[in-house]
Amino acid sequence: MLIILAFIILFHLASAILLFVATIHNAWWVVSHTGHEVIYADLWYSCNSTCYPVVNIYLQAVQAAIILATILCCVSFFVFMLQLFSIKQGERFIFTAIIQLLASLCVMTSASIYTAQHENFHAASLKSGSYGSSYIVAWVSFPMTLISGLMYLVLRKRK
Amino acid sequence: MLRVLALASVVLLGIAPQASQAITVYTSWERHALVGSDIRLSCTFFSWRSISEDVSFTWRYRPDGSKDSISIAHFAGGEAYTDNKGVFKDRVEFVGNPKRRDGSILIKNLDFSDNGTFTCDAKNPPDIVGRPSSVRLLVFENLPIQAGVITGAIIGVVLGLLVLIVVIYYLMRFLVARRVFSLSVRSVPRLWGLSLGQRIKAAAVK
Repeated sequence: MLIILAFIILFHLASAILLFVATIHNAWWVVSHTGHEVIYADLWYSCNSTCYPVVNIYLQAVQAAIILATILCCVSFFVFMLQLFSIKQGERFIFTAIIQLLASLCVMTSASIYTAQHENFHAASLKSGSYGSSYIVAWVSFPMTLISGLMYLVLRKRK
Repeated sequence: MLRVLALASVVLLGIAPQASQAITVYTSWERHALVGSDIRLSCTFFSWRSISEDVSFTWRYRPDGSKDSISIAHFAGGEAYTDNKGVFKDRVEFVGNPKRRDGSILIKNLDFSDNGTFTCDAKNPPDIVGRPSSVRLLVFENLPIQAGVITGAIIGVVLGLLVLIVVIYYLMRFLVARRVFSLSVRSVPRLWGLSLGQRIKAAAVK
């Protein structure tokens, strides 16, 4: 059963790393005109000739939701380690599962708000762009955290 | 050892008079305001000496992009003088209380051309050595939401709610356990009371 444990831990860590990348890398929106440099915008600052921090309300909500998802994913990892040594045999990791599912909900909220409102986030010069790598990573981490949370719900402690 | 002590005391005596005679001026770093509103720019100072009769405040204004600064307000000898010729004519008022180290000014009816740096210089004779302090004024049409305020608020509220829920859950579990414990403790003294009464009866009969 050590293999299952290792697999679950690696899966959880992988989803945490993806969440960190989606939060920190400032590339939810990419603008690449021919002849100019590639401009990365969104989530923390957008640059034209100078870089300005983001002040749109919805974008700040997106920031908050993805930061919350990252925090909850890390907290659920610590709680899993705690529960691994504290709960009795045959019990499920309920607390860990709840926190991980909350993290999954937050990622989904964040990516959904961004998708719905992305037209209002950019000045006219940045409108003709496409979704960037961080956006894709954020969407990928949603099913990963969901599956991870469901696995904790199903898993029982064995020695 | 004696040499080190002598050297240290000489150095301290050399530095101390200068430290006690420097005046430090404090203003805000940056102020935001709406077009058409009034704003109070505060200026205070710290001085080792007591406030003298000749305390003076001077306010200068340097527009954004310009290198020259003009004087817009001056307080000296108990009298306040404000701009009566330039851009701030009739718009500046000295509202500070120099006896309480406050040399603030009030600027009325702001406009976009008032964007710039305001410098306050305070002197408290004989304490005159000091650097003036500047405050940057930004005039907006609508006040923008600062980046990160809403983000921090949402994160704080949600995390606070989660912590509250966890604490309440564990508190309920603890309280339920305690209620079971206190019920069993209450039933015991009755048994004690009965045996005590029986004992007293037995003693009275005897």
